[in-house]
Amino acid sequence: MRPVPAAVLLFGLAAAALLAAHTVSVAVLAAVLLAVCLRAPGKRRWPYLVGALGSAAVLFVVTPFVEQLPGVVYWSGPTIPVVGTLDVTSTELSGALFNACRLAAVSLAFAAYALWLDHDRLVQAAGFARRSVLAVALATRLVPALERDAAGLVEALRGRGVEPEGLRGRARLVSPLLAGSLERSLNLAEAMEARGFGRPGATRMVQPPWGPLDRLAVAGAVLAIVAGALWL
Amino acid sequence: MALAVAERVSFTYPGAAEPALRDVSVRLSPGQVTLILGRSGSGKSTLLRAFAGLIPHFHGGRFSGHVDVAGLDTRRHGPPGLAGTVAMLFQDPEDQVVFTRVLNEVAFGLENVGTPPRAIEARATSALAAVGAEHLADRLVAELSGGELQRVCVAATLALEPRLLLLDEPTSQLDPEAAEALVELAVGLARERGTAVMLSEQRPALPLELCDRVLFLEDGCLAFDGPVAEARIWLEERHPVFVSAGGDGGVRLNPEGDVVVRMDEVSFAYEDQLLVLDGVGLEVRRGEVVALVGPNGSGKTTLAKLAAGLLEPQSGNVDRVGRATYLSQDPGRYVFRERADEEVAVGVGGDLAVAGRALAAVGLAGYEHRHPRDLSSGERERLGLAAVLAPDPDLLVLDEPTRGVDPQRKHELARLLGDEPKRATLVVTHDLAFASQVADRVVSLAPERELVGV
Repeated sequence: MRPVPAAVLLFGLAAAALLAAHTVSVAVLAAVLLAVCLRAPGKRRWPYLVGALGSAAVLFVVTPFVEQLPGVVYWSGPTIPVVGTLDVTSTELSGALFNACRLAAVSLAFAAYALWLDHDRLVQAAGFARRSVLAVALATRLVPALERDAAGLVEALRGRGVEPEGLRGRARLVSPLLAGSLERSLNLAEAMEARGFGRPGATRMVQPPWGPLDRLAVAGAVLAIVAGALWL
Repeated sequence: MALAVAERVSFTYPGAAEPALRDVSVRLSPGQVTLILGRSGSGKSTLLRAFAGLIPHFHGGRFSGHVDVAGLDTRRHGPPGLAGTVAMLFQDPEDQVVFTRVLNEVAFGLENVGTPPRAIEARATSALAAVGAEHLADRLVAELSGGELQRVCVAATLALEPRLLLLDEPTSQLDPEAAEALVELAVGLARERGTAVMLSEQRPALPLELCDRVLFLEDGCLAFDGPVAEARIWLEERHPVFVSAGGDGGVRLNPEGDVVVRMDEVSFAYEDQLLVLDGVGLEVRRGEVVALVGPNGSGKTTLAKLAAGLLEPQSGNVDRVGRATYLSQDPGRYVFRERADEEVAVGVGGDLAVAGRALAAVGLAGYEHRHPRDLSSGERERLGLAAVLAPDPDLLVLDEPTRGVDPQRKHELARLLGDEPKRATLVVTHDLAFASQVADRVVSLAPERELVGV
């Protein structure tokens, strides 16, 4: 399948997850997208999976404490100024589960996009807003680039005989990681300018035409959005 | 008639106290290969950037004089406008890659300059073939070795078929054979297509054999401009290390020292299961400097990391005595602190006095308060070296320590490394002149991954 229809299909599934009204429907969509992500190579997939599932888990845990909805009270805690009484009710829990599944589905759709799609072809297929599409593709590649830089930083520290241990040790790498990333982006921008990026009249390498599978993917995306809005 | 002209060009980077270029005038003719030499920070890269229009358009700063390329004044035509007429290869290939696949990367510039769509793939493939990399066309850029990536970046530059080709230390990551092939390719372009080629190099021996003309920059000023024969005489008198073929750097063989690291029948494979090392053995003794050479992808870095304890072998034994430190390739990329002395002190528990001595040892005395990211690439390389020297290791492992380092500094580095009788030193390098200068033994890791000469 070509990357543009694949991206449209993933967008359709994410949109369906946002439009759907039932937790089970959203959970099924999230499970399908999780299965797609799990087929990616282990080393590449873990940052995306940790990000997607971790943020969903945090949302599930935090939501009942910040919402004030009636229902069967499972736990009641202290009263905090401004926030009110901390409690966990059945309605809050089901709402938290629903939102967590939604967030997981959308994040996993992005993860599948980042892990499986050929971003080069996505950029080359862009008939308009090529600069924006390229910016998105470069941003998508930031995760693996940061991962490589983090590994390099750890290796540089170990090379000096220092083992970065624990959360605090790793947290100290964030600042040099970001500074290095900014420096890299400047170098890349300079190299892109030198190769004519931004010059009017840019062309594109010839792209092969769409096949039946590509058309099916776009139809599937439309169907997913309609189903999400009407039935799921 | 000159293709490109720089007249009385002076330039100061934003925030810099001193100009990077001072009143430099150069004329480049079609078909001429010009080599720029000079110490780190002398303005070589800046001059190349001026011809590409990146100075002043991309960097800002104070610019005076004028640069004209093929009738285009660079003050009015920025880098995108000059692209195609001018093409530039930067020092660090990792920082100039835009796409994830090789063919798309090479096609990027062609698309930007408006090449007819049906011609793009053919020209990109032809450029890859010219650098012997056509087999890489469908590979992911992230999977390439440093040498392969360098060749892809060269192909991306050549694909534009520029009239002026600017190469900023193009062989820094290449083994000698690949470096020779690249320089010969550039010379071939000049001879056959009339391309004006301007390249800066820190390994000048080979380009000096093949180029037509030499420029030497000192503190941003053009100190010499003339044909190669005259340049050799001038360099012999003023800067002999630039024409030295290596040789004795004052290192004394110390075969009597005890073994600091011994590797027996060591094998290693990364996660992709490719066996990088298979049954390799090596030992390094105290007081000895061993240079590890070999082609790109032969496993030199892996062996160095195994020696330093950063990797564990799948089979075989690595016995090490005392503390080991390891300087990775391109250490300037990995900076942790905002002051040079604090950066060096990371490995010695924050001891700034020790860090100060290490900085002085690598010629960076007075740089203690400078931000590491404000240093030039050669200075950063030396800062990284100071950081691994500061802990006074029993085993010092250096991976390509001369990348971006000028010949004078290489000479000083060779002396520094040979000056410590208590330390065992393993140096991975493509720079054979430096290897012969610094090492008591040169060990070659052949492509079939066996040690062939000890």
